Amino acid sequence: MSLRSNGHQWGSVAKFFHWIVALGILGNGVWGLLMTGMAPSINKINIYALHKSIGLTILALFALRLAWRLYDGAPPDEPMPRWQRVIAHATHVLLYGFILAMPLSGWLFNSLHGYPLQWFKLFNLPALAAKNDDLSHLAGDVHEWLFYLLLIVLVGHAGAALKHHFFDRDNVLRRMLPFARTRHGKTTSGELT
Amino acid sequence: MNIRIPSLALMLAVATPCLANAADYNVQPGSTLGFTSNFQGSSFDGQFNKWTAAISYDAAKLASSKFDVTVDLATAKTGDNDRDSALPGADFFNVAKYPQAHFVTTAFHQQGSQVIADGMLTLRGVTKPVSLNVTFKPQGSGATLDVTGTVKRLDFGVGGGQYADTSVIGPDVKVKAHLVLSAK
Repeated sequence: MSLRSNGHQWGSVAKFFHWIVALGILGNGVWGLLMTGMAPSINKINIYALHKSIGLTILALFALRLAWRLYDGAPPDEPMPRWQRVIAHATHVLLYGFILAMPLSGWLFNSLHGYPLQWFKLFNLPALAAKNDDLSHLAGDVHEWLFYLLLIVLVGHAGAALKHHFFDRDNVLRRMLPFARTRHGKTTSGELT
Repeated sequence: MNIRIPSLALMLAVATPCLANAADYNVQPGSTLGFTSNFQGSSFDGQFNKWTAAISYDAAKLASSKFDVTVDLATAKTGDNDRDSALPGADFFNVAKYPQAHFVTTAFHQQGSQVIADGMLTLRGVTKPVSLNVTFKPQGSGATLDVTGTVKRLDFGVGGGQYADTSVIGPDVKVKAHLVLSAK
């Protein structure tokens, strides 16, 4: 498996970014929904701090991922109807938007609430806005709702991948899976786009 | 002529205690008592809105100088609702049991040009020595008095239970007071 993507499948760097960000966003989102009901305690403080640290990590990984994607390119699309291709790419753009908006809205929420922002107790990051209690509530709701919207788009994204894998029996999913081999004769071999 | 000698003696008798004792002052509005601590790598400031201080001070008569300060702990405000509702609670000041903190000087000493007030701080049922740097500036008949010092919160059990983790809440609390004084 090569680091870079080729005409048949995604490279290992692109796969790493895809799956680590997927795991991070989902895990941190569920974590975030569960933690809000906690009574004040040092555990709550630490759990929130971890949520924020993971979110900032996802933001940094996303920046690296975007840079790698621009450098590395992508394998050509699997054969599929044009409408599917358009929707698939639109979904990817949307998901990129959500991956960016989730941590940024959290950062903004944290800033408006007037909390410090620390990355794994190592260093602090500046506030994006001045403390504002009214806007803080709004930003908190936006942060939460963005995750629900992301989940809806994610269901479409994962559902389409599974449909291609089990019904069309093509390489759409396989070429992104960490250790799977692509099916022979199913993919269009071509240049990187 | 006979009268003058007893009257001089009387004047001396009256004046002597004044010469031996430091001057007493009243604390004027505009005086502040605040603190600075650290939460998640970021410092925050707080204020006590209700406190009283009896100040006797004279830089030349440190032996008879004295500070006696009582702080109403429930009046601590730090500009954050979560923090301000946590501070009076049992984990921190525990104002239900220990509503006030008390600081009284035991001695003053000079370290170079810096005057240092040594005293005992009683906070949350614990009494321990605390020293403060003193900057006293006479102004007309009054003065301004600035003191700074550091209190180790865990010495007094402030946030001593589950909040004892100093990587989350810093161990040192800097205390800073600015007093505007008028002669009594």
